[in-house]
Amino acid sequence: MNSLLNINKAAFLFFTLITSLLFSCNKDVQQFAEPALPTAPVGMALGETIAARPTDSLYYRLVTKAGLLPVINNKAATFTMYVPDNNAMKLFINAISAGAVPLAAPDAVFSGFISANIPVASAVGIVSYNISGQALPSTNIPATFPNLQYPTILNPAPSLSALLRLTTFPSTRNGAWLNNVPFTSVDLNAANGVIHHTAVVVAPPQRYLWNRIDTDGGLTYLKAAINRADSGTAAPGTLQGALLNISANLTVFAPTDDAFKVTLTGAIAKGLIGMGVPPATAMAQAAYLASSPNVFSNPALYGVLTAQTVKGIIVYHIFGNRAFTNNFPTTLTYYPTLLNGAFASHPGVGLTAVFGMPFVTSATIKGVGNASAANIIINSSPLKPDPSGTSDQHYLNGVLHKIDQVLLPQ
Amino acid sequence: MKEILKYFSIFLLTNFIFFNAFAQSNVINGKVLDNVTQEGVSAVSITIKGESAGTYTDNNGNFKITAQQNLPLTLIISSVGFVTQEILVSNISIPVTVNFKPANSLGQEVVVSATKVATRILESPVSIERVSAAAIRNAPAVSYYDVVSTLKGVDVVTSSLTFKTPTTRGFAGSGNTRFTQLVDGMDNQAPGLNFAVGGVIGVTQLDVDNLELLPGASSALYGPGGMNGTLLITSKNPFKYQGFSFEVKEGIMHTDGSARPLSPYHNWSLRWAKQLSDKFAFKISTELVQAQDWIGTDYRNYKGLAVNGQPSFGTRASDPNYNGINVYGDETHIDLRLGLRGIAAAAPFLAPYINTLLTSPLNITRTGYKERDVLNPNTVNYKLAGALHYKITPRTEAILAAYWGTGNTVYTGSDRYSLKNLKIGQYKLEINNKNWLIRAYTTQEDAGESFNASATMAFFNEAWKPSGGSTGWVAQYAQSFLNAKLNGASDVDAHTTGRAVADVGRPAEGSAEFKTLFNTVRTIPIYKNGGLFVDKTSLYNAEGQYNLTSAFNNVAEVLVGGNFKRYVLNSEGTLFADRDGKIGINEYGGYLQVAKQIVDRLKITLSGRYDKNQNFKGRFTPRATAVFKLTENSNLRFSYQTAYRFPSTQQQWIDLQVGGGIRLVGGIPYFNTKYNLSSTPTYTYESLQSGTPQLYNAKEFKPETVKSFEAGYKGLLFDGKLLIDLYGYFGQYNEFIYRKVLIQSKTGSPIQQSDTTNGNAFSVPVNSIDKVKTLGYGIGLDYNLAKNYTLGFNFSSDELKDLPTTPGFFSYFNAPKVRVNVSFANNGFGYKKLLGFNVVYKYQDAFNFQGDFASGYIPSAQTLDAQFSMKFPKAKTIVKLGANNLLNQYYINAIGNSRVGGLYYVSFGYNLY
Repeated sequence: MNSLLNINKAAFLFFTLITSLLFSCNKDVQQFAEPALPTAPVGMALGETIAARPTDSLYYRLVTKAGLLPVINNKAATFTMYVPDNNAMKLFINAISAGAVPLAAPDAVFSGFISANIPVASAVGIVSYNISGQALPSTNIPATFPNLQYPTILNPAPSLSALLRLTTFPSTRNGAWLNNVPFTSVDLNAANGVIHHTAVVVAPPQRYLWNRIDTDGGLTYLKAAINRADSGTAAPGTLQGALLNISANLTVFAPTDDAFKVTLTGAIAKGLIGMGVPPATAMAQAAYLASSPNVFSNPALYGVLTAQTVKGIIVYHIFGNRAFTNNFPTTLTYYPTLLNGAFASHPGVGLTAVFGMPFVTSATIKGVGNASAANIIINSSPLKPDPSGTSDQHYLNGVLHKIDQVLLPQ
Repeated sequence: MKEILKYFSIFLLTNFIFFNAFAQSNVINGKVLDNVTQEGVSAVSITIKGESAGTYTDNNGNFKITAQQNLPLTLIISSVGFVTQEILVSNISIPVTVNFKPANSLGQEVVVSATKVATRILESPVSIERVSAAAIRNAPAVSYYDVVSTLKGVDVVTSSLTFKTPTTRGFAGSGNTRFTQLVDGMDNQAPGLNFAVGGVIGVTQLDVDNLELLPGASSALYGPGGMNGTLLITSKNPFKYQGFSFEVKEGIMHTDGSARPLSPYHNWSLRWAKQLSDKFAFKISTELVQAQDWIGTDYRNYKGLAVNGQPSFGTRASDPNYNGINVYGDETHIDLRLGLRGIAAAAPFLAPYINTLLTSPLNITRTGYKERDVLNPNTVNYKLAGALHYKITPRTEAILAAYWGTGNTVYTGSDRYSLKNLKIGQYKLEINNKNWLIRAYTTQEDAGESFNASATMAFFNEAWKPSGGSTGWVAQYAQSFLNAKLNGASDVDAHTTGRAVADVGRPAEGSAEFKTLFNTVRTIPIYKNGGLFVDKTSLYNAEGQYNLTSAFNNVAEVLVGGNFKRYVLNSEGTLFADRDGKIGINEYGGYLQVAKQIVDRLKITLSGRYDKNQNFKGRFTPRATAVFKLTENSNLRFSYQTAYRFPSTQQQWIDLQVGGGIRLVGGIPYFNTKYNLSSTPTYTYESLQSGTPQLYNAKEFKPETVKSFEAGYKGLLFDGKLLIDLYGYFGQYNEFIYRKVLIQSKTGSPIQQSDTTNGNAFSVPVNSIDKVKTLGYGIGLDYNLAKNYTLGFNFSSDELKDLPTTPGFFSYFNAPKVRVNVSFANNGFGYKKLLGFNVVYKYQDAFNFQGDFASGYIPSAQTLDAQFSMKFPKAKTIVKLGANNLLNQYYINAIGNSRVGGLYYVSFGYNLY
């Protein structure tokens, strides 16, 4: 039996076995490979891309002045930039210098103007308004209406809210646009984003819709009507409050004073005739009563121009989104207004536009109660900005178009 | 129950009075000496030929026995490991000196658990393993539970240093309800918590007489449970093992500092037993363990719910929906779109942009805390046990015993639980006789300040900063996330920014603020948005057994028995659905066993047992075994065994919200009604995941059964130097119980795949419609070399066959295909054979682990345990230098469990026997 296994053999066998086995350590639990992290994008960043393009040198100068180069050269972030080329920048500088810098001036003059005459805050405002977080290639810009409301990196009141942003409205409806400004080219790709070139400098809006209505000498009836509509309503639920609310997003079709006079005269005369006043007398009295915006604060007419009636008419002139004329349809299409908030089934107003190249040359808006469509009073020259323009007047909380009729909802 | 105890006490008292005294005549004194070392041998059986009386040597080898007959008479001296001797006593005035000769003990041990009748281990009709006190003493293990892990076919799940759960034949888990542990005849499963508490309470290290392990089904004798095996732990009888003994182990852990700093390990135990008279003896034993526990350090990302999930890639930095396995509080999954929608409503000018982010769920989790910062690192375990033994007659012994334990430990169930100030007591009154036994015991459980790690930290986070609300954690996260996105940040960076902002002011791990808040939340009951679970569940059991062999004139061995069991669930609504009051569950059963020597070489045993639980139909479980004697020392064995288990108390009545947002509920109809599982659209998780939603169809919840066929061979070869044990088995489970995850619509409307994580999640125990089949085999070789050297080897394998293909089925089989243990030892060599050593190598194959806490792949593991000892006979002491996991090769045996490293110790033992 001892020949089967002796102590020395057993010990040798045991320790040889164990030693050989223990050379390998226990494995730890299986670790899983992390998916490859996105590597820093290769190629030139947005700022570097602009810097490398001579035709964008003036805007590059503006970006530099704004101190935003580090932001757009940060490859850990991605942006969409709207860049006016040198021609657009020259138009802009020519305009803001009131012609002091002629369009034919050498580039160095424009560049010097930027350095010397454009305040940093203004530069920051313009450049920031033309930058949005994340890449938005043109293929992702919808052609639907209403427009995509896309936040920029410009926060007008950071102390109020870190999330406050001015927004832009890119669209590929009837062309390709940023607000009402056409793109001259799109989809210049950089390592950390995409660049679309704009025909002019798209400046950030400075005022609220109400500021325009409040100060425009041709919209005094509208202002008075809004005040009448708001009478008896506490802020901030008033129309004025909405027109002063930065988070609102509206389109106001603003009947001119003449339009109000015509409508009010007709309506008052009709009322007087109905009361037995002879037509001629009625027309004269009506014309007198409607000759001033005070018509809305005339106690004698309170029974006719009730706050609710006036409000109903005013909200029929307002969209709950932003519609630039370039976003209008080319065939008559009805869109809801704020009146639909109370009367959901109301057909709204009918819009149609005629395009030139590339801008709208004429446009109309039809109220259900109107015999004919009202005309949108198109700017005398394209892209005429606030406060002198009549259409596509862009504000912090919306866009305003003047029209030549009061729209009647029924 | 009180009535039973009253009658039992009266019966005991009557016997005390009736058998108040024995007549005394010839008193014989003597001493038993090891003929090699000339040291006294303790616990040696001394009986007088022709008499029923007997005694044992004390710890010095001395004995005193009273003879009823006149001289001359013959003493029979016997003990396992020694050659039995007969000594003729002619003169009572001369003390008897016995030179006891060590003998080969291989295969000579006697086991009781295989048939409930003392049987030579070689002739056991079913597979059985026995570990003697001597084997425990010489094992390279700090705890006798570690010795069990070296037996063939055994898997041990290590939840923590003091929480180790052995099992056989698969289905390993911390709270294994298919494996029964009986301590001195008492089921030591915590009745409410459903895990065996042997490591926490019960027999102390010095009080263990022997362990008997019955792999395989054993319901026919031991009742429901024990489908996969039964471990019987028997403590030392104070009549046999007397004297004062103690052992001090001092060790070190965490030697490489990878999980915790180097820390000490303390294990002190003592036992004192004394025979005060021929009739009365007592013992008391106690043990204290204190250490810094092993710790779970699996920080991998866990994707999926409970057993349905898997570890995956992703870290806290790279995955906003990260849910680390041993990270708690990050189980709170939230769809960030909720916060973003809130911003869109408040800031409509951002709504169009936000809408572009809402096309698919943006799942995020709260930031969690690692296990080391949450679970109590201080493991303390204190055991106190005592027993009074009274011999009513020489063959009738009454025992009043108490086992009590308290401490802190960590358990893995459906979550990681810190069992803090856990207190469990078992109290027993027993009268046993050669032919009969009656026993009553109760288990009293108190979970103390135990808490669920995930729930605690989830509510900790909510207490610090609520997830919801306009200024809540999600709102802050969403705002910062959005702001970052608006400023051009990538998704990953935006999430990082969002989390950083939302976590501003988060209590730092270990800070005073953390401790204050943590201690508040962990002591609030779960249903009140805390982590505490209250569990004061009790078990009352009464049982009896009678050996009718003599009544049948020894034609056959006949054994009958029965028991009554009552659970009283009491968790005050924190664990069970018992907020309105305690819940009682009654069970009862009876068994009959008949054994017959058919022919000279063949013995057949037939057993059967019937049990009934008030919530389930009664079940009958038969067993048939046969032993065919090839030679005197070699036998073939065959068995057909059945077993079943009633669903555990938790599988019946649990109602607990755990990590991952899952509510564990019981399987009885009550929960179907309570949670409208049939009336509100409720789907199986896996069907939602696969995109083909299937409504959950609740069926009757039944007990689980198993049929097991086994064949084996055990024999001594080569002049008795080689013990070989072979076995092979096939098991088939019916009505297999597993948990199924359900997702219920929150709105009542049908839900789709994308709602998988948004509905109410339930985990419900169900029966498998398919049969589950297991297959296994093993071999054990023990070889006695010369000069006390022994070489041991065992190999075992378990496999799951024909795995059911039912979608969502999980077997929780959790067994490696290969297990190998190799040992080389000597318990007496060198100078006067005072030196000893034991080296054990263990290897287990890799396997896929499935658990309610987490599932995943467990790598193969090997460990080397070793001890070297030296005896000092005159001082009756032994000094041991030992190591568990000598090479400090960390391993885990369940996903999410503690990672176990090396434990190095030196022990000093006095009067160990």
